[in-house]
Amino acid sequence: MRNELEVKLIPIYILSRKHLVPEGSTIITAMEYAGFKLKKGIGCREGFCGACASLYRLETDFKLHGGLGCQTVVQPNMQIVQIPYTPSPKAIYDLETINPEEEVFTATYPELYRCLSCNTCAKICPQEILVMDYVQAGIKGDLALMADLSFDCIMCGLCAARCPAEITQFNAALLARRLFGKYVNKKGRFLEDRIKQIQDGKFEEGYRELMNLPKEAITKRYFDRELNFKIT
Amino acid sequence: MAYPEYMKESIELVHKTRAKRLEIDKIGIQNVLTPLTEEGRKKVLSENHPDYTPDARKQIRIGPNKGEWLTTKVVEILESHSRLPTTFRLDKPDYETDVLVIGGGGAGCQAAIWARLHDAKVIISTKLRMGDANSMMSQGGMQAAVNPNDSPLIHYLDAMGGGHFDNKPALLKILTQEAPKAVKHLEDLGVIWDRIADGNLQTKTGGGTSRRRMLSSRDYTGAEIMRVLRDEVRNHPEDITVLEYFPAIELIKDQEGKIAGAILFHMETGEYAVVKAKTVIITTGGFGRLHIKDFPTTNHYGATMDGLVMAYRAGAKLLHMDSVQFHPTGAVYPPQILGFLITEKIRGFGGQPVNKFGELFVFPLEPRDVEASDYIQECRAGKGIPTPDGHIGIWLDSPIIDLIHGPGTIEKNFPAMVRQYKRFDIDIRKEPMLVYPTLHYQNGGIEINEDTSTSIPGLYAAGECSGGVHGRNRLMGNSVLDYNVFGRIAGISAAKKAKETIIAGNLTIDHIGKYEEELLSARIITPLKTPVLLPEYRNLDLVSRHLDEFDPFLPAGL
Amino acid sequence: MKRIPYYPGCSLQTKAKHFETTAMAVAEALDYEMITLPRWNCCGAVHSLTSDDLMHHIAPVTTLLRSKEFSEANQLDDSRLVVLCAMCLNVLKRTNKRVIELIDDRTKMNDFLYLESSKYDGSTQVIHFLELLKEIGWDVLSRKVTHPLSNLSVSPYYGCLLLRPKEVGIDDPEAPVIQENLLHSLQAKVVENPLKNRCCGSYHTLADKQVVVDLSYDILTNAQKAGAEIITTSCPLCAFNLDQRQEDIIKKYSGFKKIPVVYFTELMMIAFGLPLKNAGLDQHYVDPRPLFIEKEMYHEE
Repeated sequence: MRNELEVKLIPIYILSRKHLVPEGSTIITAMEYAGFKLKKGIGCREGFCGACASLYRLETDFKLHGGLGCQTVVQPNMQIVQIPYTPSPKAIYDLETINPEEEVFTATYPELYRCLSCNTCAKICPQEILVMDYVQAGIKGDLALMADLSFDCIMCGLCAARCPAEITQFNAALLARRLFGKYVNKKGRFLEDRIKQIQDGKFEEGYRELMNLPKEAITKRYFDRELNFKIT
Repeated sequence: MAYPEYMKESIELVHKTRAKRLEIDKIGIQNVLTPLTEEGRKKVLSENHPDYTPDARKQIRIGPNKGEWLTTKVVEILESHSRLPTTFRLDKPDYETDVLVIGGGGAGCQAAIWARLHDAKVIISTKLRMGDANSMMSQGGMQAAVNPNDSPLIHYLDAMGGGHFDNKPALLKILTQEAPKAVKHLEDLGVIWDRIADGNLQTKTGGGTSRRRMLSSRDYTGAEIMRVLRDEVRNHPEDITVLEYFPAIELIKDQEGKIAGAILFHMETGEYAVVKAKTVIITTGGFGRLHIKDFPTTNHYGATMDGLVMAYRAGAKLLHMDSVQFHPTGAVYPPQILGFLITEKIRGFGGQPVNKFGELFVFPLEPRDVEASDYIQECRAGKGIPTPDGHIGIWLDSPIIDLIHGPGTIEKNFPAMVRQYKRFDIDIRKEPMLVYPTLHYQNGGIEINEDTSTSIPGLYAAGECSGGVHGRNRLMGNSVLDYNVFGRIAGISAAKKAKETIIAGNLTIDHIGKYEEELLSARIITPLKTPVLLPEYRNLDLVSRHLDEFDPFLPAGL
Repeated sequence: MKRIPYYPGCSLQTKAKHFETTAMAVAEALDYEMITLPRWNCCGAVHSLTSDDLMHHIAPVTTLLRSKEFSEANQLDDSRLVVLCAMCLNVLKRTNKRVIELIDDRTKMNDFLYLESSKYDGSTQVIHFLELLKEIGWDVLSRKVTHPLSNLSVSPYYGCLLLRPKEVGIDDPEAPVIQENLLHSLQAKVVENPLKNRCCGSYHTLADKQVVVDLSYDILTNAQKAGAEIITTSCPLCAFNLDQRQEDIIKKYSGFKKIPVVYFTELMMIAFGLPLKNAGLDQHYVDPRPLFIEKEMYHEE
């Protein structure tokens, strides 16, 4: 059953000028429809890169909303603006020599301790992350919790833009995740063992053989190969 | 949005057949629905894959690959004019460096990090921001033969077969043998890999893999790696300069024919800049935004094959540019997410492709080209589900994953997908997704050697823009591996080469003039100027009244 | 086992971890389970006490609200919020008082917290662990004593925030007796130090530690003059200033003799005969263990 798609146009305000755009457009596609060639504030268009952070107001309430331009569907009389970039301090550190103790943030992002627990950051986060909770985890020195809670962060910058204490949450979280991944996360043996085997040249002979097989032989070997999904 | 009424009947069938299909999973799908044989593969590909239609390819009339049959759209883009005005003069360089990296994605950042570790000064030129790349978007995983019941040799065999045996053996050996080391490097940089209870890396299956070796970071694998690499680049501002919104549009040579830098164009200010560099690495990624055969794409906004255009104009040979990868599972509903990537990891966890009657109709983990062709075939046979805006798809049954692995599995391993659909009122833990093949990956590219050098001295390439590693069809997880392994090798090779390089004489862009002459001789008439830089999505009615004829983004022909 | 919500505050889970573990062990011996509030946030410390800025009160109000929700959701036996850190106690109680009394401020804050699941109505009551012990009853405590501290001379120290301002203090600011009563129930010899409620210097320890050095010197030497062998305290910051700073006191006052400073809960562990492995006795600058061994009070297990 295929309907002809009726293009219903609705009014929105881009930089305070009224435009008519198709219902169902996202902020990004609405701006393109209205003639804007987007050269910034746009990236993957799929919700992963955080380039298209946007602020908007709806005619139904007084609040200032935030969202991703590529994922937020426009509503009638919405007022939108893009925030392609929020200036944010980034600490310079050497992951090899940094001390992953609880004081790591005093040296890198001391503003973290200014947190008022007002939860403004979590309210604006387009990824529904408990931003305040991970900031508090950072204050307590709990890197594992901070890494876990902040995992889905795409670093769009909206939290930092709205924070009354002027914290740069997403950069602190990135540091916490890197420290967790490097120092705290439990590691097993398989990877090391395999790397050692490779260094010892265990597979050289096998590669030589495979690389010299004529096309028919390797084709056969490929289609005959066993599918075995056990780990050991 | 939720699903329209008319789809509900089909969705009900999917729910009804789930219990039976769960049984099939328990036995092992490969025991019930066997993967296709060589003949089976050839048949479904030739009858359904977009690469095999009569108009899929065209002979290119100029350049290093002259006479070869390449993908039609690729040929159209390559047979084009430079964006540089004919009056452009190369004068004093605005920037000088050892290594110029063109493209700020995963490969570019790896290259910069490793070039710096080998004492090179680096400039990264990027069209959008560093990290706005396909690397940021990949979801499901990276292949590495880390389990005891696996080996790099089996990884090699899997990738070779998936690539139609066209992969360059030496490159594939490097890819597969360096994989575990690449995992370790990333771990040392702080990447959080998914792990199982004993601390070992979690491994899943992927399309065309005969062992479990798909490592992941939830379904944010690409984003997790990209965030870390980008952060590491930013930790060294004295050695690595990042020029954002400043893409390269032409390569520069010296009097000996070596690549000696590039011309950049600032998209905001409209200015040009000349970068003089001892070596250049191209890491410009893919071509999804060229919408080959009008397919929607998974790619980011800037994936317009810029690197190939510049390299080709400079005389670099391309490889396997007749092969386009369509990812079998791109979203088709709701329309706002048309073409978006639904990670193969869903099938790796047991998600099943199911037609409108709720039937599992194909082995879920064939290599991508085979799998995509199977879905196209099924829809052609009338067993797909149409969407209100004129597209079609089959169901990808995701709720079955929680039945196989326990409640909460989907939420834990696919937070990005859950969120994406939740924004449009669809709960993928309870409802299936509607999918269809989408334009995804450039299998070929600028041909590289084992050290990532190309056919032009001084020019290196790594990542999706390079050709030879994956043959004519890339397996899941090998692209993320590719940019980490070869990005690093490119950085090291370029840095070492830069140490012994002396730029000979004046800089020149004569090769551009020569390319223009070739166009003339071949009697190619086209208004197109490339690199494309950004696709055109503006409402053309409005744009046609555009007054500024100097807008570099005005579509050709208006 | 009676369950009561517990608010740790930042120090109690890091530098002063043994204060928490010993308090929890003692509480358990007295049939109380202290349950750490999930999703607790920093109380804001001194920053939350500014009176001209409502924003700074949001942190403690959020905590009070979370405590109320947690008690209700889990139907806890005791819905009061027990706190160990004197600074957190002070902040939470003062904010609570303000929010209860100034209805306009409370309304505004609730409006701002609109995404929380409920509003704060001032119903959370904040108490210090010492108050809970007093309520349980000194006689109950003394019945639990298996190793009386009878040959130990203890000087309890209060500092400021447990006692002042009077509206939120847990005892008489001029003549407090709560720690003394506790120590009597443990059969310790209590020694009176006239400077037991004198400020230790608090956060001056960061910017100008000589202030703390002088103040601590007076407090400690007065206790020693009165015959004290050990000092007890109930505040992680006081503990730091009186214990760790002895390293600096010695540099300035060469004749000074070191004296151990412990949390009162550590003495309770010894008196109750509880295993001392996790009591954190090794976490001090001035090691109390030689003293305990000399008094034959130190049992490994």
